[in-house]
Amino acid sequence: MESRHKILVLDDESGWLNLCRDFLAQLPGKPEILTVSSGMRALSLLDAQTFQVLLCDLRMPRMDGMQVLSIVRRRFPELRTVVLTGSVEEDFRSRAYALGVDMFWLKSDVQQNQQVFLECIESLLGGVDGGDSRDVHGKNLLDVIQMESALRNSSVLHITSGWRVAQVWMKDGELVDARAEGADGEAAFWRLLKWKGATFESLPAEPAHVRTITKSLDAILLESAQTVRKAGSPTLAQEEEETAFVARLTQVAYEGAEFVVTVPAKNVDVVKGWGIRDADRLAAWVRQAEKAAQRLGEKYNAGPLTHIAGHNPERHVLLMPGNGRTFVIGWPPEADPRHLFDRSKKLADAWAS
Amino acid sequence: MGILNWFAKSGPAVEKLSAGSFTVDRHGNVMTTTVGSEYPQWLLDDTAREVLSLFRGARAAQMPLTGLDLNFAGLHIAAREMQGGAIIFLSPQNADAASSPSGKGRP
Repeated sequence: MESRHKILVLDDESGWLNLCRDFLAQLPGKPEILTVSSGMRALSLLDAQTFQVLLCDLRMPRMDGMQVLSIVRRRFPELRTVVLTGSVEEDFRSRAYALGVDMFWLKSDVQQNQQVFLECIESLLGGVDGGDSRDVHGKNLLDVIQMESALRNSSVLHITSGWRVAQVWMKDGELVDARAEGADGEAAFWRLLKWKGATFESLPAEPAHVRTITKSLDAILLESAQTVRKAGSPTLAQEEEETAFVARLTQVAYEGAEFVVTVPAKNVDVVKGWGIRDADRLAAWVRQAEKAAQRLGEKYNAGPLTHIAGHNPERHVLLMPGNGRTFVIGWPPEADPRHLFDRSKKLADAWAS
Repeated sequence: MGILNWFAKSGPAVEKLSAGSFTVDRHGNVMTTTVGSEYPQWLLDDTAREVLSLFRGARAAQMPLTGLDLNFAGLHIAAREMQGGAIIFLSPQNADAASSPSGKGRP
C-alpha cells in the first residue's frame, strides 16, 4: 500500500501556516501537510508520527527555530529540514546550515519563486524514497572524491547542498579544479569539504578544463586530516556542550514546559536559558522579584520563600529558589496551576541532579 | 521545670494573622482594605510598592504578568493587577510560621 509523504510546517504566524498549507497542496505527490505553531507541539508530533520534511520558521517566541532544529538533528536524523524565515541576517543562514538543514529559504523568495520552491520540496521528498545512489547525504564528500580517484575517473562532479552549488573537475582520478561559494581551485575545494550534506551528479569530463589545483589528492587529504586533528579538542568540547544543551532542551519539551532559565545567585555567573531567547532580561526581573520577596518575607516574619508564581493569559511562570541558583520555569497557559509547583519541582530536581 | 516555664513565657508572643485583602491604585496608595489592624499601615504601603514594582519589572522584562503569588512557608501573598493598580490578598498559612509582623526595615 502506497503511503503519502508527510510534511510538517512550524511557524508562529497562523496566516503563513494557512498560506503554506494551500501552497504545498500543489505538490505533485500530494503529501499530507500538518501545521503547528509551537516548537513543543512540533517535537511531540515528530515523536508520534513519521514525517519526511520539516519546514521551520526561525524567529518564534518561546522555543525558537534553531533550538527545534538542534533537537531534530539529534532525534530525527532522517528528517529533511527546510528553514523558512523572514530574517535576512546572514548569521542565521550560516547557523542553520551548521545545524545541517537541507535548505534555507527567505519567505519573500518563496513567494517570488513559488515553482522553484515547490520543485525543491518535491526533490527532498523524492530523495526520501531512497534508492538514489547519487545521494551522499550524511556521507563525507571525501569518500566520493576518493572513489572517483581510485577508479581513475575523469568527470565533472556537480554538487548541491540546499541553495549552494559547486563543481569539481577530475581527470584520470586527479583533482583538477573546483568552484564553490565564489571561490576557485584549492580554496573552493577546502570550502566544499566543510559541507555536511550534499547530492552530486557526475557529468561528462571536460578534458580541456584548465588545471588550477596542483597538489595531489593524497596531499590535500593529508592536510585535511591534520586540520581535523588540530581542531579536534575544541570541536569535541563544543560538541559535548551542544549535546548537553540539546538533552536539557529535550527534557524541557517532554515535561511539557516552555522554557527553563537558571539564574545564579551571583550576578557574575552566567544565566542559562533553554527554550527562551532573552534569558538575561528575564533574569534581571527574577533577581528583583527574589529581593522584593525576601524583604517582604522579613517584614511579615513569614518564614522561608518556597516559590514565586506569575501568570498572564499566555503563560505561567514559576520561580523556584534552589541551592545557589533559581530555576525559572515557563508553562503553557493551559497547564493546570494546581500541579505546577510539583511539576516545576520535579524538573528543577532532575536538572540539579 | 520552673526555669523552663519562665523562659517559655519570655519568648515573643505569636499572634496569628488574619486573612484579608486590600486594593492599591497605580501610585501605590492603599484604597480599600479588609485586613485587620495587626497589619500596620506602613507594611501595607511597603507591600503595595513592592508588588507594583514587580509588575512593572515583569513588563520591562517582556513578560507582563496579570497575577503574582509570593509563597512563603507561613504566608501567601497573591496580587492581581487591576488597571495599573492591584488587589492584594494576604493569606497566612499556619499559626506557627505566620507570626506578627517583625517590623524589620522600619525606623
